[in-house]
Amino acid sequence: MNTIRRVAILGGNRIPFARSNTVYSKATNQEMLTATLQGLVDRFNLHGERLGDVAAGAVMKHSRDFNLVRECVLSTTLSPETPAFDLQQACGTGLEAAMLVANKIALGHIECGIAGGVDTTSDAPIALNEKMRKILLDASRAKTTAQRLTALSRLRPAMLVQPALPRNGEPRTGFSMGEHAELMAQEWGVTREAQDELALKSHQNLAKAYDNGFFTDLMTPFQGVTKDNNLRADLTIEKLRSLKPVFDKKVAPNQGTLTAGNSTPLTDGSSAVLLASEEWAAARNLPVLAYLTFSEVAAVDFFDKKEGLLMAPAYAVPRMLARAGLTLQDFDYYEIHEAFAAQVLCTLDAWQDKEFCKDKLGLAKPLGKIDMKKLNVNGSSLAAGHPFAATGGRIVATLAKMLAQKGAGRGLISICAAGGQGVVAIIER
Amino acid sequence: MKTIEVLREPSLPSVLIGALASSTKRPGVVKKLPPVTLVRPEVVLDGAHIARYNALCGFTPAQGVLLYPQLLTFPLVMAYVGSAECPWPALGTVHLANRIEQTRSLKAGDAVRVELQTGTVQAHEKGQVFTLDLRILQDNEQVWSATQTLLRVGVPSPSGKPFVSSVTADAPLSHQADFSAPADIGRRYGTVSGDRNPIHLSAPTARLFGFRRAIAHGMWTHARALACVLPQRPLEQASVAVDFKTPLFLPALASLWTHRTSHGALFEVRDAKGQKPHLRAQLSY
Repeated sequence: MNTIRRVAILGGNRIPFARSNTVYSKATNQEMLTATLQGLVDRFNLHGERLGDVAAGAVMKHSRDFNLVRECVLSTTLSPETPAFDLQQACGTGLEAAMLVANKIALGHIECGIAGGVDTTSDAPIALNEKMRKILLDASRAKTTAQRLTALSRLRPAMLVQPALPRNGEPRTGFSMGEHAELMAQEWGVTREAQDELALKSHQNLAKAYDNGFFTDLMTPFQGVTKDNNLRADLTIEKLRSLKPVFDKKVAPNQGTLTAGNSTPLTDGSSAVLLASEEWAAARNLPVLAYLTFSEVAAVDFFDKKEGLLMAPAYAVPRMLARAGLTLQDFDYYEIHEAFAAQVLCTLDAWQDKEFCKDKLGLAKPLGKIDMKKLNVNGSSLAAGHPFAATGGRIVATLAKMLAQKGAGRGLISICAAGGQGVVAIIER
Repeated sequence: MKTIEVLREPSLPSVLIGALASSTKRPGVVKKLPPVTLVRPEVVLDGAHIARYNALCGFTPAQGVLLYPQLLTFPLVMAYVGSAECPWPALGTVHLANRIEQTRSLKAGDAVRVELQTGTVQAHEKGQVFTLDLRILQDNEQVWSATQTLLRVGVPSPSGKPFVSSVTADAPLSHQADFSAPADIGRRYGTVSGDRNPIHLSAPTARLFGFRRAIAHGMWTHARALACVLPQRPLEQASVAVDFKTPLFLPALASLWTHRTSHGALFEVRDAKGQKPHLRAQLSY
């Protein structure tokens, strides 16, 4: 049996992210993920290589895409003998995929692999009207023509224009993700002003990263797009202040703080990262950017205990820190996924809150503050957009490159996910 | 000091006649207001009336009554401005600012004493400002007070110290909500409040007084905005000050801009584009 090995992050690739129903409105998940994987293959000259595994996923997925990732792999110049599998953990999909591939490498089961994610809310899987679906299934089960006609006679034209649409909401509460985030902002007293400031910073940081050419070796243009089209380099605080709250009607009428500016838009895009053992990288002369060293997942009871839906990372991080023997301040960079500015600010507040840290996390003292200058320094989801499953890969590649540029250091990743889940990790160099 | 008891709510014709009759007043320079107190010795807060007021302004029962008690002072204000004790006519006097302080919350069924006392005169660039001090007492204890600041436009070389706004806070404001001010809101609020100033009722009646359309009652606009800002729980102690900036012509879509803190808010009602302010106010609790 092998000992546990260090898992190297060699690089990443993504296509520019695009707001839903804009430039990628006709692109499928398969096209986007294939282009992303091919870009990674080209960059690292993996043509014809048989990789250990490719793990990726999509949150919004057509039923025909049951083997999405394997189909994408077959469309690239990787060896067709490269296995692949799909997974799904809502917005945690991309990071969870990286953790799974990393674990296989760490245990010596494979030498290298790709982890990624893709999502489109433009080319969304609209399902048949539920009644219509049942009728069609009844018709297909019918044994005689008469039975089939009886079943089909129940069809009504209205069923054609009333399809089952996917929705961005929690099945158990009936609230949308934004409404849950608004509830959290109200509970933690996170102000509108603080959220707008964080959003502005995200856009400024991402714009600066583009100006510095940071994404040059992390991105492949797609369908003529070279930059995340949600980015507003000329955004002002006044513009953010002029937007009206959008998630308050049901949960805090007229008291809302979340706007289209400080929440992520629905986004199309995909990302992938290349992970390997140090031996595999050395054999190919590929420099190591950083190492994926720790990970943790957590979930909260947002239904009975009424914990904030997106608060799970606040629980996952301290558990991971305890295992790693680190404090919250032992990091050079913090990548906290900006699903909503409020999610980031509630999490940071929670880690400074004595009661929360004692009663909910069981800690003797609060985790404390972080240096805000180290937070999302090359922008995050508020500016780049958030194609659900693609966010993890974007962050892993971005943070690994930042640590490589710095030479040595440590970064924390925190991603919240639907269903009250949180996926977090540590990257070191 | 002279004290006048107002025992009955004045009828609509008498208010209108008094207001019109007061238009003959032609005062010279007024150095101070004659000291007068007008009193409604016992008024019982009417739950049905409060409910009608809340429905019109958007308040929920949980928010208590912070602005509503000012309606109880309206008969006294009308009696005063229609009386010989008020140097200026009722018509053409503008509500410039208002400040309310509540030290104990009132509720339907409470019996209270309502008082109006003449206040001070202050100088304003647009004319003569004068104030009316309004008080509500319960069991001989003051539980609510207000200063109604009125402006007599066009008075040359006004007397008194310069007018100073009670809205002292300053912070960047964010767009919070939009609300519509329907065409009939002046008539509906006029019915509930008793303030049937023709400038609020309809375009033709407003035109008689130089407005191109009917304008919303400042206190309605103030209440409508406050309903969005007040927390959804009863407050024992609270104060709210407002400066009325520009008329809100009916019908209109207005936008609400706020900056909230843990114990208050600064807010403005602006036009739909968020550029022209109709009022600016500050709530503390």
